[in-house]
Amino acid sequence: MEYLRLALKNLLRRKTRTLLTLVGIGVAIAVLYSLLEFQQGYEQGLNAEINQLGAHIMVVPKGCPYEAATIVLHGGKWPRYMEESYFDKIAATPGVSQAAPILMDAMINPATKDNKIFLGITEAYGTLRPKWTIQGTSFSTLEAREVILGTSIAEKLRLKPGDTFHLRQDAAGRAAGKDDADMKVVGVLERTGSQDDGFIFMPLHTLQSIFKLPGKIVVVLVQAEKIDGASMEQTTQALRELGGNMNIFPLSELLNNASQLMQVTKVFVLAIVLVAIAIGAVGVLNTILMAVFERTKEIGMMKAIGASPKDIFALIWTETILICTAGGLFGIGVAVAGSRGIEWFLRQAMASQFSQLPETTLIGISPGVILLCVGLSVGLGVLAGFYPAWRASAVKPIEAIRGAN
Amino acid sequence: MTEPAFDVQLSLVAEAAGMGKIYRRGAEEIHALREISVAFAPGEFTCVLGPSGAGKTTLLNLLGVMDVPTSGALRVAGTTIADAGRVRLAEGGRDRLRRENIGFIFTEFFLLPTLTAVENVQLPLLWAEKDDHSYAVELLERVGLGHRLTHRPTEMSGGEMQRVAIARALINRPRLLLADEPTGNVDTKTRDGIFDLFRELNADGLTIVLATHDGELAARIDRVIHLREGRIVEGA
Repeated sequence: MEYLRLALKNLLRRKTRTLLTLVGIGVAIAVLYSLLEFQQGYEQGLNAEINQLGAHIMVVPKGCPYEAATIVLHGGKWPRYMEESYFDKIAATPGVSQAAPILMDAMINPATKDNKIFLGITEAYGTLRPKWTIQGTSFSTLEAREVILGTSIAEKLRLKPGDTFHLRQDAAGRAAGKDDADMKVVGVLERTGSQDDGFIFMPLHTLQSIFKLPGKIVVVLVQAEKIDGASMEQTTQALRELGGNMNIFPLSELLNNASQLMQVTKVFVLAIVLVAIAIGAVGVLNTILMAVFERTKEIGMMKAIGASPKDIFALIWTETILICTAGGLFGIGVAVAGSRGIEWFLRQAMASQFSQLPETTLIGISPGVILLCVGLSVGLGVLAGFYPAWRASAVKPIEAIRGAN
Repeated sequence: MTEPAFDVQLSLVAEAAGMGKIYRRGAEEIHALREISVAFAPGEFTCVLGPSGAGKTTLLNLLGVMDVPTSGALRVAGTTIADAGRVRLAEGGRDRLRRENIGFIFTEFFLLPTLTAVENVQLPLLWAEKDDHSYAVELLERVGLGHRLTHRPTEMSGGEMQRVAIARALINRPRLLLADEPTGNVDTKTRDGIFDLFRELNADGLTIVLATHDGELAARIDRVIHLREGRIVEGA
């Protein structure tokens, strides 16, 4: 027989009470775990998406840069355009290594979620995507009626190289005078794991022609020669000096700003979680203190048969640490098991604050976060158990036993 | 007035000389024991008899070093607990002395409901940082519960529970067994069975001090100390 087993058996005496206390701690720890994982997953996801973009600076028409960034990261419609001629100036700016003009349009059907996102690109886009592998070929000319499909959309449309993609405008498109087109599928991308998998790529001028946007582009992705702070600052400044009604937007700034926004949310939610944990701790203290009061005679007996105050303190402390640790593990288990559901809920709840969250897994399993939560649970037990353990250790055996007789 | 000194006999299991105990409840002083001088030799079976409130439990608590006298002297298992009304052994030392030398049996059995009979018997070993499963089994067999090793208290009768408590009191191989109204919660037949067990343990050389108000039980014990209002009126 050892302390741990005795403590465990003592806790199992009042199963319902122990379970409720454990669940209280578990819920608080589950929320904390999910929050920390979400924060980490969000940052990593955003970072990965920005890295996959292969660019360091975005040049977009004036407007909300975050909205623009979201459109660029996830695809969509944005009603502001810049002139393609502006692109040449950007490409020639000192400090710019590569620049890729992009035009984007989309057919969005919220009801069926049957969305088609079109990207008009030049061969420069390929240089930002050195890891692209195309099954088939690239575009023959910048005006060719050809498409390259991302792997997901190709699977969805059941198209392969050599097939014909029938581009049919929706009602809004037809009203705007946009053309239908039958286009040859020249290539299908091998899976990239990025947003590219869902895009339909076509030559820039083809998209301009079909969608009636001659000479327009939406964004220029810029790869800088040097990405240290000073060089980036210089390149950004040089691009700003080009004039025009443009936003020059370093992507590192996007990451920082998004992280800061997330940080504010995190601090707020963390405050709520800490209150929940504090309530849980008071619950544990109450449970253990009640158990100590109920077991006063028994504690007196233990002292009579040789237990020292230190032994009793250790026993009650072990019980408290055990219940908190079990609660913490339970909470982590629930958070991990229900991570898909929790992520779905958070995505819905945060949709208005973060118009598009990264598509990567946001709530994963990180040893660091698990350790932190377990550590916090144990710490909670250490704190919450101190007073009941001290009360128990101070029980006078004679008074306790006399109370029984 | 000078405090009584020990009649030093190192072989005695316990010895009190002019020992008194006063409890204070606010301004009120309750003299639970007055001028108790008594000695317990190895292998003795002593009954402390007296009505409720006579000081029997207080005497057992002092002999079991769960409490300390307020006057006089007390020596248990060769260690001076108090002398001239002054405590000579600190709480930690008293805990150790109790753990190593004294076995306690209470009216209520105080068995832990979640532990089996054998686990309950082993409980004092937890504090002594020892483990002796086979001795716990041997003791349960000795008290006639070899067939109840893995039963929990809720599955046992009052007599069986008290036998488990006796085995628990013996696990540390005590020199002195203190039993406070050990048959107070059992019927006459069970009482006789438990008493027979005490007899057997005593015959094996264990020193036993049993407190009771049951005159019929006391009549079967060789040495009887009569306590009344905190004083020994007969049998010191």
